[in-house]
Amino acid sequence: MVTVGLVGRGVVGERIARRLPSVLGDVTVVDIDTRTSRRVPSPLDVVVLAQAGAHAPHAVRFLDSGVGVVSVSDDLDDVQALVDLDDHARRAGIPLVVGAGMSPGLTELLARLLTSRLASCDEIHIAIHGTAGPACARQQHRALGGRSLGFHDGAWNRPPAGSGRELCYFPEPVGPYDCYRAEFATAMLVHASFPDVARISARVSANRRDRFTALLPMLAPPHREGGVGAARVEVRGVDAAGARVTMIAGVAELVATATAAVAIAFVAHLVVGRLPEGVVLAGDADLDTVDLLRVVAQAGVRLQDFTGVSSERRIRANP
Amino acid sequence: MKFVRRSLGAILAMVITATVMRVRGAGGTPPQHGGWRPLELPDH
Repeated sequence: MVTVGLVGRGVVGERIARRLPSVLGDVTVVDIDTRTSRRVPSPLDVVVLAQAGAHAPHAVRFLDSGVGVVSVSDDLDDVQALVDLDDHARRAGIPLVVGAGMSPGLTELLARLLTSRLASCDEIHIAIHGTAGPACARQQHRALGGRSLGFHDGAWNRPPAGSGRELCYFPEPVGPYDCYRAEFATAMLVHASFPDVARISARVSANRRDRFTALLPMLAPPHREGGVGAARVEVRGVDAAGARVTMIAGVAELVATATAAVAIAFVAHLVVGRLPEGVVLAGDADLDTVDLLRVVAQAGVRLQDFTGVSSERRIRANP
Repeated sequence: MKFVRRSLGAILAMVITATVMRVRGAGGTPPQHGGWRPLELPDH
């Protein structure tokens, strides 16, 4: 019997609670409301932070109580604060999983899988489309109004969010969307897991209205849940034969479902002691990425890769 | 009158250029192959 504490019962929290038994079997989910109580229920095997707002202050409290933590936060400042808790988690001797959502999270797992097929990787480009619940939509709205974070030829840059348009093809039924830079934590965590990669970018889909109104308060309340979202990971490098290759993987799924699946995968690995002590990132090389992705698929997410068009066919089509 | 003549001249030049590019251009057919498929996870 596994006891999982769950902070936040929004769209993502609900989905985690509903799908945990399909992966873990005999599991008890304990709701923890951090707004009304500072007491940590006992016994807990792991706690999942899926609430709106900052996760770092709550993570400290659970680490001090000896409980492993899985956070789905994607806010840049919050994720940085969580990463800074590495020493705290190591002293406690327990894992703190940072960025266990769709992005950061699933995108880093896919990046790790793709780079394992290369002799060397020099570029990772990530794009996402869609939001989970209202808190996620508000976070994306803020992200489009801030300053993005990218890594280019070995140096960090902070261009304005909403710039850098790129047409990205997501798996069907989502298809192509214009994507722009945004202020979220994916690039930072990708760099932490892939320090040798020279170029890292992270983009989010947006339309003209999203970009125009990004600097204003949200004019209309967000939907209860966004529609089908998507994530796309493009990895460029050199294969074993020395040829330049580009590989692309992605998912098209409700963002809350994909986020819940990744969080559940890390919970499953944490409770059986398969995660190291300290801060754990989804792209870390010492994780069992393939098994984590298997659990993600088991939790209902269909992983896909892009077959591409062979250069021979392309030349024949456009002589 | 001069302005109208110049405008018509510019439009005519645009039409001729577009026609030449359309007829003589090498756009070709977009790729008809490739797409998304289920990702096969490797055995350990």
